[in-house]
Amino acid sequence: MRTSRRVAGAAALAAVALVLLAGPALAQKSGGVINVMLREDLSQGFAIHESPTISVVWPASPCLNNLVFFDPAKPVESLDTIVGELAEKWSWQDGYRNLVFFLRKGVKWHDGQPFTSKDVKHTFDVVRAAPDAPAKLRLNPRKDWYANIEAIEAPDPHTVVFRLKRPQPSLLLMLASGYSPVYAAHVNPADYRAKCVGTGPFKLKEWKKGEYVEYVKNPDYFVPGRPYLDGLKYIMIVERGTRTAALQSGQLDVAMPGETSKAAAEQLKNAVPQLVVTPVATSVTDNIIMNAKKPPFDNPKVRLAVSYAIDRRALIAAVHQGAGVPGAAMMPRPYGVWGLAEKDLATLPGYGKPADMKARAKKLLAEVGYGPDKPLRVEMATRAIAIYVDMASFVINELKQVGIEATLKQVETAQWHPMATRGDYQIGANLTGLGVDDPDANFYENYACGSPRNYSLYCNEHVMKLFEQQSVELDPKKRLTMVVNIQKKLEEDAARPILDMRLDYFTHWPHVKGLVPHHNIYNFGRMQNVWRDR
Amino acid sequence: MKTYIAHRLGIGVLTLFGMSIVIFLLLRLAPGDIVEALFSAGGYVNPEERVAILRELGLDKPLPAQYAEWMGQVFRGDLGKSYRYDVPAWEVIRPLVPVTLELAILSMVVAVALGVPTGVVSAVRQDTGLDYALRVVSLAGLSMPSFWLGMVIILGLVAWLGWIPPVTYVSPWENFWLHLVQFMLPALAVGYRSSALIMRITRSSVLEVLREDYVRTARAKGQTDRVVIWRHALKNAILPVITVIGIEFAFLIGGLVVTETVFNLPGVARFLVQAILWRDFPIVQNLVLFTAVIVISVNLAVDMLYGVLDPRVRYGS
Amino acid sequence: MAASGATGAVVPAAAARPAGRPGVMTTLGRFCRKKPLGAAGAGVMLVMALTAVLADPLSTHDPIATSATDTLARPSTAHWLGADHLGRDIYSRIVHGARVSLIVGIASTVLGSALGGVIGLLSGYFGGKTDLITQRVMDILQGLPLLVLALVMSAALGPSIPNVVIAISVPILPRAARVIRASVLAIREFQYVEAARAIGIPHLRIAFRHVLPNTVGPFIVLCTAQLGSAILVEATLSFLGLGVPEPYPSWGRMLSVSAAEYAQKAPHLVLFPGVAISLAVFGSNLLGDALRDTLDPRLRGA
Repeated sequence: MRTSRRVAGAAALAAVALVLLAGPALAQKSGGVINVMLREDLSQGFAIHESPTISVVWPASPCLNNLVFFDPAKPVESLDTIVGELAEKWSWQDGYRNLVFFLRKGVKWHDGQPFTSKDVKHTFDVVRAAPDAPAKLRLNPRKDWYANIEAIEAPDPHTVVFRLKRPQPSLLLMLASGYSPVYAAHVNPADYRAKCVGTGPFKLKEWKKGEYVEYVKNPDYFVPGRPYLDGLKYIMIVERGTRTAALQSGQLDVAMPGETSKAAAEQLKNAVPQLVVTPVATSVTDNIIMNAKKPPFDNPKVRLAVSYAIDRRALIAAVHQGAGVPGAAMMPRPYGVWGLAEKDLATLPGYGKPADMKARAKKLLAEVGYGPDKPLRVEMATRAIAIYVDMASFVINELKQVGIEATLKQVETAQWHPMATRGDYQIGANLTGLGVDDPDANFYENYACGSPRNYSLYCNEHVMKLFEQQSVELDPKKRLTMVVNIQKKLEEDAARPILDMRLDYFTHWPHVKGLVPHHNIYNFGRMQNVWRDR
Repeated sequence: MKTYIAHRLGIGVLTLFGMSIVIFLLLRLAPGDIVEALFSAGGYVNPEERVAILRELGLDKPLPAQYAEWMGQVFRGDLGKSYRYDVPAWEVIRPLVPVTLELAILSMVVAVALGVPTGVVSAVRQDTGLDYALRVVSLAGLSMPSFWLGMVIILGLVAWLGWIPPVTYVSPWENFWLHLVQFMLPALAVGYRSSALIMRITRSSVLEVLREDYVRTARAKGQTDRVVIWRHALKNAILPVITVIGIEFAFLIGGLVVTETVFNLPGVARFLVQAILWRDFPIVQNLVLFTAVIVISVNLAVDMLYGVLDPRVRYGS
Repeated sequence: MAASGATGAVVPAAAARPAGRPGVMTTLGRFCRKKPLGAAGAGVMLVMALTAVLADPLSTHDPIATSATDTLARPSTAHWLGADHLGRDIYSRIVHGARVSLIVGIASTVLGSALGGVIGLLSGYFGGKTDLITQRVMDILQGLPLLVLALVMSAALGPSIPNVVIAISVPILPRAARVIRASVLAIREFQYVEAARAIGIPHLRIAFRHVLPNTVGPFIVLCTAQLGSAILVEATLSFLGLGVPEPYPSWGRMLSVSAAEYAQKAPHLVLFPGVAISLAVFGSNLLGDALRDTLDPRLRGA
């Protein structure tokens, strides 16, 4: 009798403890479906590793998992906010030369197969185009992220070791990006273009091409009690006015990251005051690419003149109605951790008093032989999309005031990147999206000699050495100083003058809870903790 | 009659061939190809991968070979694979066809329902204030860009009612009334435009008929105006109208392109625009050919109908 | 202008102007009284043409100058029709847009109609095999829906004003050919043509000197009818992103993307360009109708 009472007492205590521990969790309600905005159809299906666009990452994220991910609840992303998904624990060894992951046990793919270290090795061998990789990707935009990996070992089914050629603390951050999910080893990578086999919180129910993507809850998800929602539906609406109207009338519950401008958000809020609007940085910068291999922009003075001519703050006011943040290559603080502070920015071209800046630009041009009687005539290329064209129009206006006559050439979307990669242009107005706010990811992709995304064809050996130096630097404070100096140098070389970083006014209905937008459009699409309040 | 049909069919087939060549060449005239379109949104293509993809899609063969391949596929009933989605083109197009067909038919119904009565009234009350008013209203429909009308409707709805028609397709089995609403609004937008032309033709043909001898005879015999109009005039006036319906059908498709885009209806026309922008050759080629088949068939049907309705017309004799 | 040219061509070209024939002004006056709608249409077209020609003096601002302070400004004395999301003055953009719409519309209509007209003329005049083959080719071009053909051509050629003009003129070609051919078939049987053949005047000279001038009436009607169509197609192409490129203001492009997004805050963005397009097409349709009624005796009274 006594024993059973003790047992009962213990059970009661345990129950109370459970309730207390799980207390906050009980506020979330299970069930319901939410409709999410999608601006266009998935161009590469669910093959995130073959895609460079948010249009694939946003709808494909619910079905997949990473090794590690940025904490969904924290808007500012950094090393400190990395949490494990498929990896339970991880540790750097050997002075950041080897990265060991201890994987979660009992995780299953959506088709029932068990998840093991083999899947991780398979994914990243394929993505880094290892010589003995089991398959090849049709398109591989982020191969360079993994260029430093020597080998990947899977000593047992729940351990993976990444062996690097040299220390690289940034690897962990790149693995935490929405661009780095884990594929299944028993599925051909090409199949991800048509369907999605993942371990994620939601299973793909149907992809109706050109219309929607539908998900249902994964009952075997490895996080108990998640996901809260029964399903998700990503609805494609190409026409911008119709898209906004759908959000306003409640047919869509959540907007798409990066798609809501300040004015649109104001309009929505006016019409539906209870909508939740959160301004976030998008990790997308407006920048100017100049062909450094062809005249006139092979001359750094001319490039610098262009940079001086463009009043950054005026651009933010005119083109984005204030919904932009001035900064250099890395995301400015407080949205990111590597950005330049106000005092650093003040010394850069384009940030001082507009009259002074324009005078500097004119002087630089005069030094090279251009002047009021001999204007510099160039052709500015940009993509034939409104957000590009608006920015380009403003820039052309600015350039006109310092004696650079630019005509605008609109390039159709399909032509833009091939044209830029070939160097078939003089100057262009460009947008660049960063998958993760990390110096390695940014510098190597956009400024390294020979990188296919380095559209300016800018190549500076000294700066390359600086990239290398900061990449192996283990002391975070020292590294920050190095990264700041590199950003200044890049702006002074006018390698790819950054005009601003766009802000997005991410909007959703108040009954959607648990969705916290990050200062990066690619990394908060998992939808694992999202629930519906009615 | 039979030889006439055979003759027309033969010409129709020849025309289709011609169209296929025109479309085939036009598409390949375009700078940029599917590879560039596929990987445009921020990526790059490794040159080796590029060559491999082009070979996989058969784009590296010489033009005549590509055309022959396409024609061979059409005859086998194989519409090829969509470059973008990597699935058979027919699989992608098939669910879209009923949507566009339904919208086209509904639009035509609206157009006739609006156009014929107003045309008759306008003709009977020729040169009165009502006539002018109707003509102006109908002409306004012909002058307004259909995408603008669609935009104004949607934006007006959301501004005043906080509601817009569903943005995903609602099938009639799911919810008949919602389905009807979803289709009626775009049908009105497109139909208004077509009704203008139908109204004008109806008006002019009724006017012409009203002058005819047999009408004057009927009037002289004492039959009331209404009987005259309905029994004699309309029956004959309807003939040119039917011809116009045939011609309008082709014209309709242009209006459907923008309307489907604005109202977010998953139809063939909207898809065609996307496919053109993507240089998804199989889709564009086959869709345009498909459209041409429809147009030619409708025209043939209209001509046959004409032959049946007008006793003065007899083909083949 | 159009009306006076038309009246001159109603009479067969070979005959001289008989004494006592009413002058231009009287004919115009009569036209205005008999066809008030047509006169209104002509008036609209005239205003549009003047706006296009006098775009610069008529504008209040530079149509491509952006202004951070004036974004989405409502219509006021500073901005007569308000400003768009970049602070550009809408009135000035509409005024300059008239130039673009009119140039593209007229150029493509004239190009398409002229080329199509010549093809129709020769095809109708010579008949036989030439006619048969030409007609089939025209059928092919016409079988493709106007907008679709223009879309494909525009995508094929790339965005630029000359390319848009070509893209829109191609679908007009077969329609023009058909109309002119019908007219030629009718005229071909006229006695003076037979007479001319009888005395041995070469075919081409007959075709161009005798038959052609008598097709001018239908040709003008065709042009005004197609002009409205051309303006609409240009607007639609620009709306879909395949039309006239920046920086030329285009009414259709003013309506795409940004306009719809800000429509509730600034409905004038959506309203005014749409009204401009509608008015222009409306005017050309009215004029075309009236001209057809006047010039094409078979349709008189209709």
